[in-house]
Amino acid sequence: MKPLARWLAAALVLSALAFALSSYHNDVYRKLLLWVTLALGYNFLFGVAGQVAFSHFAFYGIGAYSIVILTFQAGLPLPLAIVAGVALCVAVALAVAIPSTRLEGFYLALATLALAQLFIVVLNEGGAVTGGAGGLADYRLPAILGVRVTGPWYTVVIVLLMLGTMALLARLDRSWFGRACRAVRDSPEAAAAMGVNVARTKVIAFTLTSALAAVAGMAYAFVDNTVNPPIFGLENAFLLLFMVIIGGAGRQAGAIAGAVALYLLPFVLSPLIGHHHALVFGVLMVAAILLQPRGLIGLYDALRRRAA
Amino acid sequence: MRSADALLEVRGLTRRFGGLLAVADLDFTVRPGEILGLIGPNGAGKSTTFNLIAGALRPDAGEIRAGGEPVAGLPPHEIARRGILRTFQHNRVFAGMSVVENVMVGAHTRFRAGLWSIVGARAGARAEEAAVRARAEELIGFVGLAEWREADVTTLSFGQGRLLEIARAMAGDPRLILLDEPAAGLAPAELDRLAALLRGIAARGIAVLLIEHDMRFLLPLAGRVVVLNFGVKIAEGSADEIRHHPAVIDAYLGDPAALVDAARAGESTHAAA
Repeated sequence: MKPLARWLAAALVLSALAFALSSYHNDVYRKLLLWVTLALGYNFLFGVAGQVAFSHFAFYGIGAYSIVILTFQAGLPLPLAIVAGVALCVAVALAVAIPSTRLEGFYLALATLALAQLFIVVLNEGGAVTGGAGGLADYRLPAILGVRVTGPWYTVVIVLLMLGTMALLARLDRSWFGRACRAVRDSPEAAAAMGVNVARTKVIAFTLTSALAAVAGMAYAFVDNTVNPPIFGLENAFLLLFMVIIGGAGRQAGAIAGAVALYLLPFVLSPLIGHHHALVFGVLMVAAILLQPRGLIGLYDALRRRAA
Repeated sequence: MRSADALLEVRGLTRRFGGLLAVADLDFTVRPGEILGLIGPNGAGKSTTFNLIAGALRPDAGEIRAGGEPVAGLPPHEIARRGILRTFQHNRVFAGMSVVENVMVGAHTRFRAGLWSIVGARAGARAEEAAVRARAEELIGFVGLAEWREADVTTLSFGQGRLLEIARAMAGDPRLILLDEPAAGLAPAELDRLAALLRGIAARGIAVLLIEHDMRFLLPLAGRVVVLNFGVKIAEGSADEIRHHPAVIDAYLGDPAALVDAARAGESTHAAA
Protein backbone atom coordinates (compact mmCIF):
# COMPACT_ATOMS: atom_id res chain seq x y z
CA MET A 1 0.00 0.00 0.00
CA LYS A 2 2.42 2.65 -1.19
CA PRO A 3 -0.11 5.49 -1.69
CA LEU A 4 -1.54 4.92 1.79
CA ALA A 5 1.95 5.13 3.29
CA ARG A 6 2.46 8.42 1.47
CA TRP A 7 -0.79 9.87 2.85
CA LEU A 8 0.16 8.75 6.38
CA ALA A 9 3.61 10.30 6.06
CA ALA A 10 2.06 13.58 4.87
CA ALA A 11 -0.40 13.54 7.79
CA LEU A 12 2.41 12.90 10.29
CA VAL A 13 4.74 15.58 8.94
CA LEU A 14 2.04 18.25 8.61
CA SER A 15 0.70 17.41 12.09
CA ALA A 16 4.15 17.38 13.69
CA LEU A 17 4.69 20.88 12.33
CA ALA A 18 1.77 22.13 14.44
CA PHE A 19 3.54 21.06 17.64
CA ALA A 20 6.74 22.85 16.62
CA LEU A 21 4.97 26.18 16.02
CA SER A 22 4.08 28.90 18.51
CA SER A 23 0.42 29.62 19.16
CA TYR A 24 0.53 32.65 16.81
CA HIS A 25 2.15 30.60 14.07
CA ASN A 26 -0.34 27.81 14.67
CA ASP A 27 -3.07 30.31 13.88
CA VAL A 28 -1.35 31.32 10.63
CA TYR A 29 -0.75 27.66 9.79
CA ARG A 30 -4.40 26.69 10.35
CA LYS A 31 -5.63 29.46 8.09
CA LEU A 32 -3.09 28.44 5.45
CA LEU A 33 -4.37 24.86 5.61
CA LEU A 34 -7.96 26.09 5.28
CA TRP A 35 -7.06 28.24 2.26
CA VAL A 36 -5.42 25.19 0.68
CA THR A 37 -8.57 23.15 1.42
CA LEU A 38 -10.74 25.82 -0.19
CA ALA A 39 -8.42 26.15 -3.18
CA LEU A 40 -8.52 22.36 -3.75
CA GLY A 41 -12.33 22.41 -3.84
CA TYR A 42 -12.46 25.52 -6.00
CA ASN A 43 -9.89 24.02 -8.33
CA PHE A 44 -12.23 21.09 -8.92
CA LEU A 45 -15.21 23.39 -9.51
CA PHE A 46 -13.46 26.03 -11.63
CA GLY A 47 -10.40 24.26 -13.00
CA VAL A 48 -11.73 20.74 -13.60
CA ALA A 49 -15.49 21.25 -14.06
CA GLY A 50 -14.98 24.66 -15.68
CA GLN A 51 -17.74 26.42 -13.73
CA VAL A 52 -17.12 30.12 -13.21
CA ALA A 53 -18.80 30.33 -9.81
CA PHE A 54 -18.21 33.00 -7.17
CA SER A 55 -20.14 31.29 -4.40
CA HIS A 56 -17.40 28.99 -3.09
CA PHE A 57 -16.29 31.37 -0.36
CA ALA A 58 -19.93 32.14 0.55
CA PHE A 59 -20.47 28.41 1.19
CA TYR A 60 -17.42 28.51 3.47
CA GLY A 61 -19.26 31.28 5.35
CA ILE A 62 -22.58 29.40 5.35
CA GLY A 63 -20.76 26.42 6.89
CA ALA A 64 -19.11 28.60 9.54
CA TYR A 65 -22.28 30.47 10.50
CA SER A 66 -24.50 27.39 10.42
CA ILE A 67 -22.29 25.40 12.82
CA VAL A 68 -22.22 28.32 15.29
CA ILE A 69 -25.95 29.03 15.03
CA LEU A 70 -26.97 25.37 15.18
CA THR A 71 -24.68 24.56 18.09
CA PHE A 72 -24.99 27.65 20.27
CA GLN A 73 -28.37 29.15 19.34
CA ALA A 74 -30.33 26.00 18.48
CA GLY A 75 -28.45 23.93 21.08
CA LEU A 76 -27.81 20.92 18.84
CA PRO A 77 -24.99 18.55 19.79
CA LEU A 78 -21.92 19.14 17.59
CA PRO A 79 -22.11 15.98 15.39
CA LEU A 80 -25.79 16.65 14.67
CA ALA A 81 -25.02 20.32 13.94
CA ILE A 82 -22.35 19.24 11.43
CA VAL A 83 -24.80 16.94 9.63
CA ALA A 84 -27.56 19.57 9.66
CA GLY A 85 -25.12 22.26 8.45
CA VAL A 86 -23.94 20.10 5.53
CA ALA A 87 -27.57 19.28 4.67
CA LEU A 88 -28.40 23.00 4.65
CA CYS A 89 -25.46 23.75 2.33
CA VAL A 90 -26.42 20.92 -0.03
CA ALA A 91 -29.97 22.31 -0.17
CA VAL A 92 -28.73 25.84 -0.92
CA ALA A 93 -26.21 24.52 -3.48
CA LEU A 94 -28.91 22.52 -5.28
CA ALA A 95 -31.25 25.53 -5.26
CA VAL A 96 -28.55 27.61 -6.97
CA ALA A 97 -27.10 24.91 -9.24
CA ILE A 98 -30.22 23.32 -10.72
CA PRO A 99 -31.54 26.48 -12.36
CA SER A 100 -28.22 28.16 -13.12
CA THR A 101 -26.09 25.29 -14.48
CA ARG A 102 -28.73 24.82 -17.15
CA LEU A 103 -27.72 28.25 -18.36
CA GLU A 104 -24.39 29.10 -19.96
CA GLY A 105 -21.29 30.08 -17.97
CA PHE A 106 -21.97 33.79 -17.72
CA TYR A 107 -25.32 33.26 -16.00
CA LEU A 108 -23.83 30.86 -13.46
CA ALA A 109 -21.26 33.56 -12.63
CA LEU A 110 -24.07 36.11 -12.14
CA ALA A 111 -26.27 33.79 -10.08
CA THR A 112 -23.40 32.78 -7.77
CA LEU A 113 -22.25 36.39 -7.43
CA ALA A 114 -25.81 37.28 -6.42
CA LEU A 115 -25.81 34.45 -3.86
CA ALA A 116 -22.52 35.69 -2.38
CA GLN A 117 -23.92 39.23 -2.07
CA LEU A 118 -27.25 38.03 -0.70
CA PHE A 119 -25.41 36.00 1.94
CA ILE A 120 -23.66 39.14 3.23
CA VAL A 121 -26.97 41.03 3.32
CA VAL A 122 -28.59 38.19 5.29
CA LEU A 123 -25.67 38.18 7.76
CA ASN A 124 -25.93 41.94 8.30
CA GLU A 125 -29.73 41.94 8.61
CA GLY A 126 -30.08 38.68 10.51
CA GLY A 127 -30.60 40.28 13.92
CA ALA A 128 -29.87 38.12 16.94
CA VAL A 129 -29.58 34.94 14.85
CA THR A 130 -26.53 36.09 12.86
CA GLY A 131 -25.43 38.84 15.27
CA GLY A 132 -25.75 41.52 12.53
CA ALA A 133 -22.69 43.48 11.47
CA GLY A 134 -20.77 42.43 14.58
CA GLY A 135 -21.28 38.72 13.92
CA LEU A 136 -21.13 36.02 16.59
CA ALA A 137 -18.38 35.56 19.15
CA ASP A 138 -17.72 34.33 22.70
CA TYR A 139 -18.19 30.66 21.94
CA ARG A 140 -15.72 27.81 21.84
CA LEU A 141 -15.53 24.28 20.53
CA PRO A 142 -17.73 22.02 22.68
CA ALA A 143 -16.23 18.93 24.24
CA ILE A 144 -16.92 15.66 22.44
CA LEU A 145 -17.10 12.62 24.76
CA GLY A 146 -15.50 14.72 27.45
CA VAL A 147 -12.54 15.73 25.26
CA ARG A 148 -11.98 19.31 24.15
CA VAL A 149 -9.67 19.55 21.15
CA THR A 150 -7.43 22.57 21.57
CA GLY A 151 -4.08 24.08 20.53
CA PRO A 152 -1.98 22.08 18.09
CA TRP A 153 -4.47 19.18 18.29
CA TYR A 154 -7.07 21.38 16.60
CA THR A 155 -4.49 22.08 13.90
CA VAL A 156 -4.21 18.29 13.45
CA VAL A 157 -8.00 18.17 12.83
CA ILE A 158 -7.56 20.76 10.06
CA VAL A 159 -4.57 18.86 8.59
CA LEU A 160 -6.76 15.75 8.36
CA LEU A 161 -9.60 17.77 6.82
CA MET A 162 -7.25 19.20 4.19
CA LEU A 163 -5.75 15.79 3.34
CA GLY A 164 -9.20 14.18 3.31
CA THR A 165 -10.48 16.83 0.86
CA MET A 166 -7.39 16.36 -1.28
CA ALA A 167 -7.69 12.55 -1.39
CA LEU A 168 -11.41 12.65 -2.13
CA LEU A 169 -11.04 15.14 -4.98
CA ALA A 170 -7.97 13.37 -6.41
CA ARG A 171 -9.86 10.09 -6.57
CA LEU A 172 -12.88 11.71 -8.20
CA ASP A 173 -10.63 13.55 -10.64
CA ARG A 174 -9.03 10.31 -11.85
CA SER A 175 -12.38 8.52 -12.25
CA TRP A 176 -15.11 8.56 -14.91
CA PHE A 177 -16.66 11.41 -12.95
CA GLY A 178 -13.57 13.62 -13.21
CA ARG A 179 -13.25 12.86 -16.92
CA ALA A 180 -16.95 13.65 -17.41
CA CYS A 181 -16.42 17.00 -15.65
CA ARG A 182 -13.44 17.84 -17.89
CA ALA A 183 -15.37 16.70 -20.97
CA VAL A 184 -18.27 19.00 -20.08
CA ARG A 185 -15.79 21.84 -19.56
CA ASP A 186 -14.04 21.25 -22.92
CA SER A 187 -17.06 20.47 -25.13
CA PRO A 188 -20.55 19.98 -23.68
CA GLU A 189 -21.93 18.76 -27.05
CA ALA A 190 -19.27 16.06 -27.42
CA ALA A 191 -19.64 15.06 -23.74
CA ALA A 192 -23.41 14.59 -24.20
CA ALA A 193 -22.81 12.57 -27.39
CA MET A 194 -20.61 10.21 -25.34
CA GLY A 195 -23.44 9.64 -22.86
CA VAL A 196 -22.55 12.23 -20.23
CA ASN A 197 -25.61 13.84 -18.63
CA VAL A 198 -24.24 17.38 -18.79
CA ALA A 199 -26.69 19.12 -16.43
CA ARG A 200 -26.43 16.37 -13.82
CA THR A 201 -22.63 16.34 -13.94
CA LYS A 202 -22.53 20.11 -13.42
CA VAL A 203 -24.99 20.00 -10.51
CA ILE A 204 -23.09 17.20 -8.75
CA ALA A 205 -19.72 18.97 -9.15
CA PHE A 206 -21.17 22.26 -7.85
CA THR A 207 -23.00 20.71 -4.90
CA LEU A 208 -20.13 18.47 -3.86
CA THR A 209 -17.47 21.19 -3.89
CA SER A 210 -19.84 23.63 -2.16
CA ALA A 211 -20.45 21.09 0.61
CA LEU A 212 -16.66 20.62 1.01
CA ALA A 213 -16.27 24.41 1.33
CA ALA A 214 -18.98 24.39 3.99
CA VAL A 215 -17.18 21.70 6.00
CA ALA A 216 -13.97 23.76 5.82
CA GLY A 217 -16.01 26.75 7.05
CA MET A 218 -17.20 24.72 10.03
CA ALA A 219 -13.58 24.04 10.95
CA TYR A 220 -12.80 27.73 10.50
CA ALA A 221 -15.54 28.77 12.96
CA PHE A 222 -13.39 27.42 15.83
CA VAL A 223 -10.11 28.88 14.59
CA ASP A 224 -10.90 32.53 15.40
CA ASN A 225 -13.92 31.68 17.58
CA THR A 226 -15.76 34.51 15.91
CA VAL A 227 -17.69 34.80 12.64
CA ASN A 228 -18.59 38.15 11.11
CA PRO A 229 -19.70 39.44 7.68
CA PRO A 230 -16.46 41.09 6.43
CA ILE A 231 -14.57 37.76 6.56
CA PHE A 232 -16.90 36.22 3.99
CA GLY A 233 -17.06 39.15 1.57
CA LEU A 234 -16.30 39.17 -2.14
CA GLU A 235 -12.68 40.20 -1.62
CA ASN A 236 -11.86 36.71 -0.38
CA ALA A 237 -13.99 35.10 -3.10
CA PHE A 238 -11.78 36.79 -5.68
CA LEU A 239 -8.61 35.95 -3.74
CA LEU A 240 -9.62 32.29 -4.04
CA LEU A 241 -10.05 32.69 -7.82
CA PHE A 242 -6.62 34.35 -8.01
CA MET A 243 -5.04 31.50 -6.03
CA VAL A 244 -6.34 28.86 -8.43
CA ILE A 245 -5.46 30.81 -11.60
CA ILE A 246 -2.01 31.93 -10.44
CA GLY A 247 -1.23 28.42 -9.14
CA GLY A 248 -2.49 26.67 -12.28
CA ALA A 249 -6.19 25.80 -12.74
CA GLY A 250 -7.14 22.15 -13.17
CA ARG A 251 -4.34 20.61 -11.12
CA GLN A 252 -4.18 20.02 -7.38
CA ALA A 253 -0.49 20.92 -7.18
CA GLY A 254 -1.37 24.24 -8.82
CA ALA A 255 -4.15 25.00 -6.36
CA ILE A 256 -1.83 24.22 -3.43
CA ALA A 257 1.02 26.33 -4.84
CA GLY A 258 -1.33 29.25 -5.54
CA ALA A 259 -2.94 29.12 -2.09
CA VAL A 260 0.40 28.92 -0.27
CA ALA A 261 1.97 31.68 -2.39
CA LEU A 262 -0.89 34.17 -2.16
CA TYR A 263 -1.65 33.49 1.52
CA LEU A 264 1.97 33.92 2.61
CA LEU A 265 2.86 36.77 0.23
CA PRO A 266 1.27 39.53 2.36
CA PHE A 267 3.36 38.38 5.36
CA VAL A 268 6.48 38.93 3.26
CA LEU A 269 5.26 42.09 1.54
CA SER A 270 3.64 43.94 4.48
CA PRO A 271 6.90 45.12 6.04
CA LEU A 272 7.96 46.42 2.62
CA ILE A 273 4.85 48.01 1.12
CA GLY A 274 2.21 47.92 3.86
CA HIS A 275 -1.29 47.10 2.64
CA HIS A 276 -0.57 47.52 -1.06
CA HIS A 277 -0.13 43.78 -1.64
CA ALA A 278 -3.47 43.71 -3.54
CA LEU A 279 -1.63 45.65 -6.24
CA VAL A 280 1.03 42.92 -6.40
CA PHE A 281 -1.72 40.27 -6.66
CA GLY A 282 -3.25 42.17 -9.57
CA VAL A 283 0.07 42.35 -11.38
CA LEU A 284 0.71 38.63 -10.75
CA MET A 285 -2.75 37.79 -12.05
CA VAL A 286 -2.22 39.71 -15.28
CA ALA A 287 1.27 38.21 -15.64
CA ALA A 288 -0.10 34.68 -15.17
CA ILE A 289 -2.82 35.17 -17.77
CA LEU A 290 -0.49 36.77 -20.31
CA LEU A 291 2.74 34.83 -19.79
CA GLN A 292 1.89 31.49 -18.18
CA PRO A 293 -1.80 30.53 -18.39
CA ARG A 294 -0.92 27.23 -16.70
CA GLY A 295 0.20 29.19 -13.64
CA LEU A 296 3.00 28.46 -11.19
CA ILE A 297 2.71 24.74 -11.83
CA GLY A 298 3.05 25.31 -15.58
CA LEU A 299 6.12 27.42 -14.88
CA TYR A 300 7.56 24.60 -12.78
CA ASP A 301 6.90 22.08 -15.60
CA ALA A 302 8.61 24.37 -18.11
CA LEU A 303 11.67 24.82 -15.86
CA ARG A 304 11.93 21.09 -15.26
CA ARG A 305 11.73 20.35 -18.98
CA ARG A 306 14.50 22.86 -19.58
CA ALA A 307 16.67 21.28 -16.87
CA ALA A 308 16.15 17.78 -18.31
CA MET B 1 -37.81 -5.68 -43.73
CA ARG B 2 -39.34 -6.57 -40.37
CA SER B 3 -38.55 -4.08 -37.64
CA ALA B 4 -37.16 -6.82 -35.38
CA ASP B 5 -34.16 -7.28 -37.72
CA ALA B 6 -33.44 -3.56 -37.95
CA LEU B 7 -30.89 -1.96 -35.67
CA LEU B 8 -32.18 1.47 -36.49
CA GLU B 9 -35.53 2.10 -38.08
CA VAL B 10 -36.58 5.54 -39.29
CA ARG B 11 -40.24 6.00 -40.30
CA GLY B 12 -41.88 9.19 -41.57
CA LEU B 13 -39.17 11.38 -40.08
CA THR B 14 -39.97 15.07 -40.60
CA ARG B 15 -38.33 18.26 -39.44
CA ARG B 16 -39.09 21.87 -40.38
CA PHE B 17 -37.04 25.00 -39.81
CA GLY B 18 -39.57 27.82 -40.10
CA GLY B 19 -40.98 27.49 -43.63
CA LEU B 20 -38.21 25.15 -44.80
CA LEU B 21 -38.92 21.43 -44.84
CA ALA B 22 -35.43 20.10 -44.02
CA VAL B 23 -36.40 16.43 -43.80
CA ALA B 24 -39.72 15.20 -45.20
CA ASP B 25 -41.32 11.87 -44.40
CA LEU B 26 -38.03 9.98 -44.51
CA ASP B 27 -37.94 6.17 -44.20
CA PHE B 28 -34.87 3.95 -43.98
CA THR B 29 -33.39 1.19 -41.83
CA VAL B 30 -29.89 0.27 -40.74
CA ARG B 31 -29.13 -3.45 -40.35
CA PRO B 32 -26.60 -4.85 -37.87
CA GLY B 33 -23.00 -4.74 -39.13
CA GLU B 34 -23.66 -2.95 -42.43
CA ILE B 35 -22.21 0.27 -43.80
CA LEU B 36 -25.11 2.46 -44.89
CA GLY B 37 -24.30 5.63 -46.78
CA LEU B 38 -26.59 8.64 -46.62
CA ILE B 39 -25.70 11.02 -49.43
CA GLY B 40 -27.05 14.05 -51.17
CA PRO B 41 -25.98 17.45 -52.40
CA ASN B 42 -25.38 20.28 -49.93
CA GLY B 43 -28.60 21.24 -48.16
CA ALA B 44 -30.25 17.88 -48.84
CA GLY B 45 -31.05 17.34 -45.14
CA LYS B 46 -28.24 14.89 -44.32
CA SER B 47 -26.96 16.70 -41.26
CA THR B 48 -30.49 17.36 -40.01
CA THR B 49 -31.24 13.64 -40.28
CA PHE B 50 -28.02 12.90 -38.45
CA ASN B 51 -28.84 15.34 -35.65
CA LEU B 52 -32.38 13.96 -35.34
CA ILE B 53 -31.00 10.44 -34.83
CA ALA B 54 -28.26 11.60 -32.45
CA GLY B 55 -30.76 13.52 -30.31
CA ALA B 56 -29.31 16.95 -31.01
CA LEU B 57 -32.62 17.94 -32.71
CA ARG B 58 -36.20 16.86 -32.02
CA PRO B 59 -38.29 15.63 -34.92
CA ASP B 60 -41.59 17.36 -35.76
CA ALA B 61 -43.07 14.02 -36.80
CA GLY B 62 -42.06 10.43 -37.36
CA GLU B 63 -40.48 7.57 -35.50
CA ILE B 64 -36.93 6.50 -34.77
CA ARG B 65 -36.51 3.06 -33.23
CA ALA B 66 -33.27 1.57 -31.93
CA GLY B 67 -33.53 -2.20 -31.56
CA GLY B 68 -37.31 -1.80 -31.58
CA GLU B 69 -37.35 0.85 -28.82
CA PRO B 70 -38.67 4.34 -29.70
CA VAL B 71 -35.86 6.88 -29.21
CA ALA B 72 -37.07 9.95 -31.14
CA GLY B 73 -36.79 13.10 -29.04
CA LEU B 74 -34.51 11.59 -26.39
CA PRO B 75 -31.57 13.81 -25.35
CA PRO B 76 -28.11 12.96 -26.81
CA HIS B 77 -26.79 11.25 -23.65
CA GLU B 78 -29.76 8.86 -23.66
CA ILE B 79 -29.12 8.02 -27.33
CA ALA B 80 -25.46 7.24 -26.48
CA ARG B 81 -26.60 5.05 -23.58
CA ARG B 82 -28.50 2.92 -26.14
CA GLY B 83 -25.32 2.10 -28.07
CA ILE B 84 -25.55 4.79 -30.75
CA LEU B 85 -22.37 6.90 -30.77
CA ARG B 86 -21.36 9.68 -33.12
CA THR B 87 -18.43 11.68 -34.38
CA PHE B 88 -18.49 15.35 -35.28
CA GLN B 89 -17.85 16.85 -38.69
CA HIS B 90 -15.66 19.54 -37.14
CA ASN B 91 -13.65 17.51 -34.62
CA ARG B 92 -14.73 18.09 -31.05
CA VAL B 93 -12.01 16.45 -29.01
CA PHE B 94 -11.56 17.30 -25.33
CA ALA B 95 -8.63 19.70 -25.52
CA GLY B 96 -7.63 19.53 -21.85
CA MET B 97 -7.12 15.75 -21.77
CA SER B 98 -4.66 13.20 -23.13
CA VAL B 99 -5.55 10.94 -26.06
CA VAL B 100 -6.23 7.99 -23.70
CA GLU B 101 -8.48 10.07 -21.46
CA ASN B 102 -10.42 11.32 -24.49
CA VAL B 103 -11.12 7.76 -25.54
CA MET B 104 -12.04 6.79 -21.97
CA VAL B 105 -14.78 9.45 -21.97
CA GLY B 106 -16.32 7.48 -24.83
CA ALA B 107 -16.70 4.56 -22.40
CA HIS B 108 -18.65 6.78 -19.96
CA THR B 109 -21.83 4.72 -20.18
CA ARG B 110 -19.92 1.46 -19.55
CA PHE B 111 -18.91 2.36 -15.97
CA ARG B 112 -20.85 0.74 -13.13
CA ALA B 113 -18.91 1.99 -10.07
CA GLY B 114 -20.76 4.66 -8.09
CA LEU B 115 -19.18 7.80 -6.62
CA TRP B 116 -18.99 6.22 -3.16
CA SER B 117 -16.92 3.27 -4.34
CA ILE B 118 -14.61 5.69 -6.22
CA VAL B 119 -14.11 7.84 -3.11
CA GLY B 120 -13.53 4.67 -1.08
CA ALA B 121 -11.09 3.41 -3.78
CA ARG B 122 -12.92 0.08 -3.78
CA ALA B 123 -11.26 -2.80 -5.62
CA GLY B 124 -14.20 -3.07 -8.06
CA ALA B 125 -13.92 0.58 -9.07
CA ARG B 126 -10.15 0.35 -9.53
CA ALA B 127 -10.39 -2.84 -11.61
CA GLU B 128 -13.07 -1.26 -13.81
CA GLU B 129 -10.92 1.83 -14.37
CA ALA B 130 -7.92 -0.34 -15.32
CA ALA B 131 -10.02 -2.48 -17.69
CA VAL B 132 -11.47 0.57 -19.47
CA ARG B 133 -8.00 2.10 -19.79
CA ALA B 134 -6.61 -1.12 -21.33
CA ARG B 135 -9.54 -1.25 -23.77
CA ALA B 136 -9.02 2.45 -24.66
CA GLU B 137 -5.37 1.77 -25.42
CA GLU B 138 -6.34 -1.17 -27.61
CA LEU B 139 -8.76 1.06 -29.56
CA ILE B 140 -6.10 3.74 -29.97
CA GLY B 141 -3.94 1.05 -31.57
CA PHE B 142 -6.90 -0.07 -33.72
CA VAL B 143 -7.31 3.42 -35.24
CA GLY B 144 -3.52 3.80 -35.60
CA LEU B 145 -2.75 6.42 -32.95
CA ALA B 146 -0.65 4.20 -30.64
CA GLU B 147 2.37 6.50 -30.88
CA TRP B 148 0.30 9.46 -29.65
CA ARG B 149 -1.33 7.61 -26.74
CA GLU B 150 -0.20 10.04 -24.02
CA ALA B 151 0.06 13.08 -26.31
CA ASP B 152 -1.66 16.38 -25.67
CA VAL B 153 -4.61 16.29 -28.10
CA THR B 154 -3.97 19.87 -29.20
CA THR B 155 -0.80 18.64 -30.95
CA LEU B 156 -2.72 16.18 -33.18
CA SER B 157 -3.35 16.91 -36.87
CA PHE B 158 -6.92 17.28 -38.16
CA GLY B 159 -6.83 13.74 -39.59
CA GLN B 160 -5.54 12.32 -36.31
CA GLY B 161 -8.30 14.18 -34.47
CA ARG B 162 -10.82 12.43 -36.73
CA LEU B 163 -9.28 9.04 -35.86
CA LEU B 164 -9.41 9.96 -32.18
CA GLU B 165 -13.12 10.75 -32.49
CA ILE B 166 -13.69 7.33 -34.03
CA ALA B 167 -11.75 5.57 -31.23
CA ARG B 168 -13.72 7.60 -28.67
CA ALA B 169 -17.05 6.54 -30.19
CA MET B 170 -15.84 2.91 -30.36
CA ALA B 171 -15.03 2.95 -26.63
CA GLY B 172 -18.75 3.04 -25.84
CA ASP B 173 -19.19 -0.44 -27.40
CA PRO B 174 -21.66 0.94 -29.95
CA ARG B 175 -24.15 -1.11 -31.92
CA LEU B 176 -24.26 1.75 -34.40
CA ILE B 177 -21.69 4.42 -35.09
CA LEU B 178 -22.77 7.65 -36.79
CA LEU B 179 -20.14 9.45 -38.84
CA ASP B 180 -20.84 13.00 -40.04
CA GLU B 181 -18.84 13.61 -43.23
CA PRO B 182 -15.70 11.84 -41.96
CA ALA B 183 -13.89 12.36 -45.28
CA ALA B 184 -14.17 16.15 -45.13
CA GLY B 185 -10.79 17.83 -44.78
CA LEU B 186 -8.72 14.64 -45.11
CA ALA B 187 -5.75 14.11 -47.47
CA PRO B 188 -6.00 11.26 -50.05
CA ALA B 189 -3.70 8.95 -48.06
CA GLU B 190 -5.78 9.57 -44.94
CA LEU B 191 -8.97 8.75 -46.90
CA ASP B 192 -7.66 5.29 -47.78
CA ARG B 193 -6.77 4.63 -44.15
CA LEU B 194 -10.20 5.87 -43.04
CA ALA B 195 -11.99 3.60 -45.55
CA ALA B 196 -10.00 0.59 -44.29
CA LEU B 197 -10.79 1.53 -40.71
CA LEU B 198 -14.53 1.80 -41.39
CA ARG B 199 -14.50 -1.64 -43.04
CA GLY B 200 -12.70 -2.94 -39.94
CA ILE B 201 -15.41 -1.48 -37.70
CA ALA B 202 -18.19 -3.10 -39.75
CA ALA B 203 -16.23 -6.37 -39.64
CA ARG B 204 -16.50 -6.20 -35.83
CA GLY B 205 -20.28 -6.34 -36.25
CA ILE B 206 -20.84 -2.64 -35.62
CA ALA B 207 -23.22 -0.91 -38.06
CA VAL B 208 -21.90 2.28 -39.63
CA LEU B 209 -24.17 5.09 -40.80
CA LEU B 210 -22.08 7.35 -42.96
CA ILE B 211 -23.26 10.82 -43.93
CA GLU B 212 -21.23 12.04 -46.85
CA HIS B 213 -21.44 14.22 -49.91
CA ASP B 214 -18.19 12.89 -51.38
CA MET B 215 -19.59 10.10 -53.62
CA ARG B 216 -16.12 9.06 -54.64
CA PHE B 217 -15.29 8.16 -51.05
CA LEU B 218 -18.66 6.74 -50.15
CA LEU B 219 -19.78 4.56 -53.07
CA PRO B 220 -16.96 1.97 -52.96
CA LEU B 221 -17.40 1.70 -49.20
CA ALA B 222 -21.14 1.52 -48.54
CA GLY B 223 -23.11 -1.72 -48.85
CA ARG B 224 -26.31 0.25 -49.36
CA VAL B 225 -26.90 3.91 -50.10
CA VAL B 226 -29.82 6.24 -49.37
CA VAL B 227 -29.90 9.42 -51.45
CA LEU B 228 -31.55 12.59 -50.20
CA ASN B 229 -32.37 15.76 -52.07
CA PHE B 230 -34.30 18.71 -50.60
CA GLY B 231 -35.12 16.59 -47.55
CA VAL B 232 -36.75 13.81 -49.59
CA LYS B 233 -35.41 10.31 -50.25
CA ILE B 234 -34.96 10.07 -54.03
CA ALA B 235 -33.23 6.70 -54.27
CA GLU B 236 -32.08 3.71 -52.25
CA GLY B 237 -30.02 0.72 -53.28
CA SER B 238 -26.56 -0.71 -53.87
CA ALA B 239 -23.71 1.58 -54.92
CA ASP B 240 -24.04 0.40 -58.53
CA GLU B 241 -27.77 1.06 -58.66
CA ILE B 242 -27.23 4.53 -57.22
CA ARG B 243 -24.48 5.37 -59.69
CA HIS B 244 -26.86 4.85 -62.64
CA HIS B 245 -30.08 6.03 -61.01
CA PRO B 246 -31.60 8.84 -63.14
CA ALA B 247 -32.92 10.78 -60.12
CA VAL B 248 -29.45 10.75 -58.56
CA ILE B 249 -27.80 11.93 -61.75
CA ASP B 250 -30.41 14.69 -61.93
CA ALA B 251 -29.80 15.73 -58.34
CA TYR B 252 -26.08 15.99 -58.90
CA LEU B 253 -26.38 17.71 -62.33
CA GLY B 254 -25.63 21.05 -60.72
CA ASP B 255 -22.27 19.60 -59.72
CA PRO B 256 -20.76 17.84 -62.79
CA ALA B 257 -17.47 17.26 -60.95
CA ALA B 258 -19.28 15.05 -58.46
CA LEU B 259 -20.68 12.95 -61.29
CA VAL B 260 -17.29 12.54 -62.91
CA ASP B 261 -15.88 11.61 -59.50
CA ALA B 262 -18.66 9.08 -58.98
CA ALA B 263 -18.04 7.51 -62.38
CA ARG B 264 -14.31 7.28 -61.65
CA ALA B 265 -14.98 5.73 -58.27
CA GLY B 266 -17.11 3.13 -60.10
CA GLU B 267 -14.33 2.38 -62.57
CA SER B 268 -11.67 2.01 -59.91
CA THR B 269 -13.77 -0.46 -57.89
CA HIS B 270 -14.54 -2.47 -61.03
CA ALA B 271 -10.86 -2.49 -61.90
CA ALA B 272 -10.03 -3.71 -58.42
CA ALA B 273 -12.72 -6.43 -58.54
